[in-house]
Amino acid sequence: MAAVNTAFSRELSKFGAFDFNACYNCGNCTAVCSLSNETDSFPREMIRFSVLGLEDDIKGSLKPWLCYYCGECTTHCPQQAEPGELMMSLRRWLTSVYDWTGLSGLLYRSLTATVAAMTAVALGVLAYAFHEDLHLEKIMHTGHLFEMVAIAAVFSVILLPNLVRMWYFIILKPGLRIPVKKYITSLADLFIHMFTQKRTLGCDDSQVRWFEHLVLVFGYLGLLFTTVFLDWFSSDSAFVITLGYVVSIIIFTVTIIFVGERIARKREMNSKSQPSDWMFVVWLFLMGISAFAVRLFSDLGILESNTWLYLTHLIILAQWALVIVPFGKWTHFLYRSFAMYFDKLKKS
Amino acid sequence: MNKRLGVYICHCGGNISDYVDVEKVKESIEGEEGVFLAKTTMFACSDATQKEMVEDIRNNNLDGLVVASCSPKLHLLTFRAVSERALLNKYNYVHANIREQGSWAHSDDKAGATAKAIQLVRSAVAKVRLARSLDPIIIPSKKAVAVIGAGVAGMRAAIELSDMGCPVTLIEREHFVGGRTSQWDILFTTNQTGKELVTKLYNDIAGRDNITLITGAEVISNTGSIGDFVLKIRVTPRYIMDKCDENNLAKAIEVCPVVVPDNFNFTITSRKAIYHNFPSEYPHYPVIDIENCTRCGECEKVCKSVDFSQQEQIVEVNVGSVMMATGFDPYTPGEGEFGYKLSDFAVTLPQFKRITDLNEGRLVYKGKEIRNIAYIYCVGSRQSEGDNNYCSRYCCTSAIHASLEAKRKFSNISNFHFTRGVRTYGKQELLYAESLRMGDIYFQAYEENPPSVDVNNGEISVSINDIMTGGREITVEPDLLVLVTGMVPRSDNSVASIFKLPKGRDRFFNEIHMKLRPVETVIDGITICGACQGPKNITESVNSALSAAAKSFSFVNKGQLALEPIIAEVDKETCNWCGKCQEACPFDAVKMVKEGEKEVAVINNSVCKGCGMCLPVCPVNAIDLIAFSDNEIENMIDALSSNI
Repeated sequence: MAAVNTAFSRELSKFGAFDFNACYNCGNCTAVCSLSNETDSFPREMIRFSVLGLEDDIKGSLKPWLCYYCGECTTHCPQQAEPGELMMSLRRWLTSVYDWTGLSGLLYRSLTATVAAMTAVALGVLAYAFHEDLHLEKIMHTGHLFEMVAIAAVFSVILLPNLVRMWYFIILKPGLRIPVKKYITSLADLFIHMFTQKRTLGCDDSQVRWFEHLVLVFGYLGLLFTTVFLDWFSSDSAFVITLGYVVSIIIFTVTIIFVGERIARKREMNSKSQPSDWMFVVWLFLMGISAFAVRLFSDLGILESNTWLYLTHLIILAQWALVIVPFGKWTHFLYRSFAMYFDKLKKS
Repeated sequence: MNKRLGVYICHCGGNISDYVDVEKVKESIEGEEGVFLAKTTMFACSDATQKEMVEDIRNNNLDGLVVASCSPKLHLLTFRAVSERALLNKYNYVHANIREQGSWAHSDDKAGATAKAIQLVRSAVAKVRLARSLDPIIIPSKKAVAVIGAGVAGMRAAIELSDMGCPVTLIEREHFVGGRTSQWDILFTTNQTGKELVTKLYNDIAGRDNITLITGAEVISNTGSIGDFVLKIRVTPRYIMDKCDENNLAKAIEVCPVVVPDNFNFTITSRKAIYHNFPSEYPHYPVIDIENCTRCGECEKVCKSVDFSQQEQIVEVNVGSVMMATGFDPYTPGEGEFGYKLSDFAVTLPQFKRITDLNEGRLVYKGKEIRNIAYIYCVGSRQSEGDNNYCSRYCCTSAIHASLEAKRKFSNISNFHFTRGVRTYGKQELLYAESLRMGDIYFQAYEENPPSVDVNNGEISVSINDIMTGGREITVEPDLLVLVTGMVPRSDNSVASIFKLPKGRDRFFNEIHMKLRPVETVIDGITICGACQGPKNITESVNSALSAAAKSFSFVNKGQLALEPIIAEVDKETCNWCGKCQEACPFDAVKMVKEGEKEVAVINNSVCKGCGMCLPVCPVNAIDLIAFSDNEIENMIDALSSNI
């Protein structure tokens, strides 16, 4: 027996979904979806759960993560109920549900809160810089240190507990008993999906989308690796320097394409960008271009006289690491691949 | 009687001639008595052959015609028309069916089919020998129509008839006009209120000289038939004088000690025995409900307009046609049906519409503020167990509209619709789409698994195995449960028996043919329209009302009617009135009259349909059916049974 919760519609609309109440359950969306099948039928069921406000059912479901948003469902919806956008909003909502701090939800719901958080981080960085009397070398040293600490802290304090919570909702709460061996043997799936996003290939639209995304993921991971572990900004190795240039160029090139698509709004998936979507792609672009400029200025020997450039880069980096990675859209990198992992476990 | 007969035998392309040897049929018929001319033809119904027949009849002075071809259902009228074009009375034409009853039925036996065809044509020839020329029966028709029921259908029809120059008597059983429409507030799609519609129609009617509106009036008898109905109408007085003093009347209402449920509000409120009919009071003055009045006299003491001396009257009206627009009753759920009567907060859709109309600002019913409303659809319609198998058509739209109006008028309303599939056909679909977008929630169940209602300590809960959610059980605990009730025939439909109107299995009045004769009844001169015929919304009711008005007008506009002359006739010499024919007649066409000392049966020409039911019951064989007399039929049988 389930009780209806009409307030959920209003809650979900704050995460971007709109007009999904117009759904009259024809099921066209599910019929045209190339990823939906008999065992995992969506998006109609998710729309129905959302209309009725069956929150527990949505929390315990992986289906929002099984959708890779080609937008066919939205194109074919006779009621303009935007099923694709609903699935996207459910992913945002789930992200806020998994997050034990509650900050994800706050940032998704409120643009003001997001701007405030970003501003606070920027001011913090500036305060530190002035505290060090804008001493470039010291700041750069701290910046490098910050990268490593932030990665470790964000992962262990925020992301790992959130993944555990996701596991709790998906596996533990419904009372599924899965042998430990299965957890280990299924790990391959986790990493395959994490680094290839190969499920996107199941979508009916062009595979260029998958390729661009894949290039961006590798570009991003490459930049993370070169700056954090190979210390690109201070390295003398020609290989490291070249690698850094290549990956940062990749990032800002692909993100320019992505931003262009969001502006053009030609595809369903780009047509309803939320602040969180814009921020994710724009900050990635800024990261790539500012890192590129920092190293370029350094190589030209003019970084010393342009401290502002490194400061800008550090602000962007800090905002990325402290706001977008733990509480923003970055988390889909983890949740999507863990969803495939948990799905494998569930079906074993 | 020596007739000169023409006989045509049709090949029908090959449909007949592939199995029946038409030349042989022609040869064997040529020698028959009276046959002047016999021909075969490829297609008897072709223009060329029809012209040839006309010329043959004219040139040879033929006085009888037989065409042996297909079923008379297809071409009887075609060849009757051929006769008329040749100036031969059309009843001198006889049709022989040698296709459906010959070639097609016996395609495995060509010789047998041919032999049968010959017998069939011979019997037709035997009949046509005795055929006589007949003229249509002309009866006078009074140019006036009685419309029974002054709801939206009856009022609209009356105006239309009046526009066509036809005097109308508009008869309303209640003391106020407007029927069900007057009880509704805002209507879809025009956003007018029911009151506005009724006001418009009433004002129009009031300004017309050729419409006589009688309220509080009930038809109690009819003597007469098409063209000349004589209706007796009992008119109950209002017991209030025409020109009354409003203040004194208000006092009179105040002092009246009798309190009864107010049917205008579907009994959710009460009224006095002396009452106004707000908000739709036409005519504009109140009435004393004499059935509930105790005659205590309190009102007379404070109001001089009260007049108990007014008497019931019997009025007689003579009209050429009668139009039925008597409307419907909302279905009343049985006790316990989806919680009805088990909770004060389980109401019907009409009651809910009155509740929303009567409240302002907040939606309050019986002291409780209403926020969550559940609607159970198809109550009293599409019943799997029960008599009402039909869909009431209007209720899905009406319930959705009422729920949307409630949402617009009051704040914090949530609507939960428990449906069996939403049927908002046509433009009404837009309303459904709007309702979805406003966040109304729809559930659906199949017939065999309807929603269940539990009432515990006055709290209602409605559960459904929702097929939209994979059959999951979903429960809603509403503040108010609305049973979306369908339409049923009027509980008091006694007016139908006065006219012997046939009813369908659904107990609504029946038309002759749902598609081609949708407003006529088998009782000549009586038309039906609106929801007395079956569930209809206002638009559909008015559509059928205008159609029925045109049809009724066609019965009366010429002042006379031409009727088919194939009817029963009584031989007064042989008849010794026994009454058996009167009992057998389904149309009440037989009357007993005294011819001097003798009692004999007389057939009412304008009512008799020539069905022949009276013929076999007559013990002295005094009745014959014109054009199907015993003599004719016996001759046909002789021809059929003669050897080839």
